[in-house]
Amino acid sequence: MTQTATSAPEEMTDLKEVERVLAGDTAAFEGIVRRWQGPLVNMAWRYCRDRARAEEMAQEAFVRAWRGLAGWRRESSFSTWLFALAANVYRSELKHFPTVDVPLEEIAEPASPANQYEEMAEHRRSEAVRRAVLALPLRYREPVILYYFHEMDVSAAARTMVLPEGTVKARLARGRELLRKRFPHLNETGAQGSSAALRAGREALR
Amino acid sequence: MKRANNQEANAEMKHSETQIDAMDHILAAEEEIVPSSGFAAATMERVREEAAAPAPIPFPWKRVAPGLVLAAGVLGWGAWAAVRSAWPALHEFAQSSPQIPVATVPALEEAGWVVLALAVSLGSWMLSMRLVRRSGML
Repeated sequence: MTQTATSAPEEMTDLKEVERVLAGDTAAFEGIVRRWQGPLVNMAWRYCRDRARAEEMAQEAFVRAWRGLAGWRRESSFSTWLFALAANVYRSELKHFPTVDVPLEEIAEPASPANQYEEMAEHRRSEAVRRAVLALPLRYREPVILYYFHEMDVSAAARTMVLPEGTVKARLARGRELLRKRFPHLNETGAQGSSAALRAGREALR
Repeated sequence: MKRANNQEANAEMKHSETQIDAMDHILAAEEEIVPSSGFAAATMERVREEAAAPAPIPFPWKRVAPGLVLAAGVLGWGAWAAVRSAWPALHEFAQSSPQIPVATVPALEEAGWVVLALAVSLGSWMLSMRLVRRSGML
């Protein structure tokens, strides 16, 4: 799982490096880039599901962060500010150059898996659900992306979107409802296999 | 309407807090990608380029200001002159009551109804589009 929250020592490190950058030491920004490249690239990946583009968007976010560092008012943590700025960059990038959009209606729910192909069917189902997220209207897509990016933390998603929690909750609920309508059999057939996939995913990331 | 939506959202969130379903499992188990090895170096290169670039030239307000004042003055004077020359004609038009032939009155009334019907149709179309967009179907 991508690390999206910071501990106090990390926050202090960020703060020290920001101070150095603001004092004119451009090289100090490298520490910030190295520490946050994983989360920012992964966040961009969830917005576009295109590896090369995700890196381009994350790079743009870092450059904008460097330019706007003096504008960080320290009312929130550095990571909150950085994620909000990145979300803004990704949103406007995708508005100008959208990902290849497939209408939600055209994403078919895979048929019930036969035993011998269960793993493959499970993978196909997961891919279909993730593609369906990209087919959601942007106002519902972004809360869904950020909710799962922040490990199902609504307040973190709301801070990143700079929106009230209630608004994010409402949009998230609507987005999930649209997805559930698209995949009505997901809970009947997919829960067990998905649990296995989740466990496998977590194991792989350890 | 908004309150009902919020209640629905809260109910949904309560449901999702207590029951992590298959969709949550799939979306939470999203694969992670590792940035390419040259990502940090490439980003720093761009940052250094930005840092080395000369500061943007400030807009030359001092040089432009006299021109702007002059242009505003010319426009203002032109508008004042135009209104002054058109004033007698406008005054005359306002004094005279329009003469509408009796034969054209029914036609004008019909045209009025057509315009009203078109406006109502446009309004209902805009309202339905707005509702559809809000529901997320578009």
